[in-house]
Amino acid sequence: MTTAAPILEVKGLAKRFAARAGEAQSPLILADLSFQVADQEFLTMVGPSGAGKSTLLNIIAQVDSASDGEIYFRGDLIESTDAAALNPGWNCQIGYVTQDDNLLPWRTLIDNVTLPLKLQGRYDDEAAARVEALLRATNLTGFERYYPHELSGGMRKRASLIRTLAYDPPIILMDEPFGAVDAQTRAQLQQDLLRLWNYGRKTIIFVTHDIGEAIALGDRVLVLSRSPAKVIAQHHVDIARPRDLGNLYKLDGFGDMFEAVRQQIQ
Amino acid sequence: MSIAIARPLPRQRARRRLIPVGRLALGIAVLALWQFGTVTMGAEWLPGPADVLVRIWRITISGQLFHDTAVTFWEAAVGMALGGAAGAILPFALRLSPRLMSALDPFISAAFGLPKLALAPLFILWFGIGVPAKIVFVASIVFFLMFYNGLAGIMSVDPKLVAMLRVAGASGWFVSREVVWNTAKPFLFAGLKIALPRALSGAVVGEFIAADSGLGWYIQNARSLNDTTGVVAGAVIVTVLVVGVNAALKRVQARSLAWRPVARDMTL
Repeated sequence: MTTAAPILEVKGLAKRFAARAGEAQSPLILADLSFQVADQEFLTMVGPSGAGKSTLLNIIAQVDSASDGEIYFRGDLIESTDAAALNPGWNCQIGYVTQDDNLLPWRTLIDNVTLPLKLQGRYDDEAAARVEALLRATNLTGFERYYPHELSGGMRKRASLIRTLAYDPPIILMDEPFGAVDAQTRAQLQQDLLRLWNYGRKTIIFVTHDIGEAIALGDRVLVLSRSPAKVIAQHHVDIARPRDLGNLYKLDGFGDMFEAVRQQIQ
Repeated sequence: MSIAIARPLPRQRARRRLIPVGRLALGIAVLALWQFGTVTMGAEWLPGPADVLVRIWRITISGQLFHDTAVTFWEAAVGMALGGAAGAILPFALRLSPRLMSALDPFISAAFGLPKLALAPLFILWFGIGVPAKIVFVASIVFFLMFYNGLAGIMSVDPKLVAMLRVAGASGWFVSREVVWNTAKPFLFAGLKIALPRALSGAVVGEFIAADSGLGWYIQNARSLNDTTGVVAGAVIVTVLVVGVNAALKRVQARSLAWRPVARDMTL
């Protein structure tokens, strides 16, 4: 599955934030972190809370600068240690679904979802049809004219998910996108995500602290250490797709992998 | 899927209809208290509602009410437009340079602390007893109210929304227009809510000091003639003006901030 040339390669990434007053140097958040992602791969990363997972995604999305290391996108060096030279989203090639839904509260659902397409000058009939299909696939049809505060938490999550899927960047980063919803909604959102991903396979880097979620969704699971974060193990998930998340936990090998990852995270 | 907004229940609607009734009752109570004060203190000390109403009717017919109101309103409006706009725009400009903002901060605080009323005689000296002095006076008051509210709005911009838009391909200019402006807007409305009445009362106070027309002049003139009815009538007219301006502001605000949860979900 990972035989294709990597679409994204991270090499020796390190990050420390600016030192605070009275502190010679702030501690390292990421240290010598390296991994590759193949085109169309669903990569999940699991690590303890506070390991620097969000920091890693912020750096890949170029919202934040790295202290050291390199990132290659399709062979081109894109990483920058100079905060002023950051190019967030790398010309809309890297999408980012954040932990909070970050919908603009003064725009309706449909205006939020179509905003990236309009910003990129790509909102044509074809794009409108795709948005329409995504709304239908996530049961949001009929709520287009609602403002975010009028929607439930799960609906806002789905809206923020399809906002990024709608403009179809080659790589999508996901930072615990289902972290703040109840268990039932979460299971539904996971199933929705897998279904959407099966329509048109994207490269996804999905970060979570939930081991079960990481195994259930991913082609490959990377285990991150405590801060300073580095990759300490990887597991290939050989469960056939499309996956039925309801039955997944009963499959052979799931429990063993779960236990192995749990041991490594300790 | 539950939706946060529901149509108000019939009982809630019935209870909401009680509000105008309560308002009317309270208004009658205030008038009664006023009349009670007039009876106990004497009409020279506190002219009664009927006398004041007659006076307002008389100056309405003579055209004086319209003339003086127009002068005061014009001073307040132009002062508000100049000072308010400058105060509202400055934070957006300072946002582009945090260093300039922190360099200017103590000076702006000092200028805010400077009592404008103490400067009013100087404004009269510089700009004469006519309309321009009052415009400057009003502008010097409302400038700071709008400035500090605008600044608070800009400080509360959510950096995560900015990052999200940048990732999705937004330019710096679009981010300013979209996130900064929409975040600051409720704060600017809060500023207007305080600044508009202040602009009117600022114009009136300016006219107290030196003027030959305007509602402040009318009140001051009545005071110098021991015409208490004229004083109260003038005060009532200013109050009505402020209430009217506030009602207009509320309408504009409701329309332009329709997306906000607070304004929609609050029920009594």
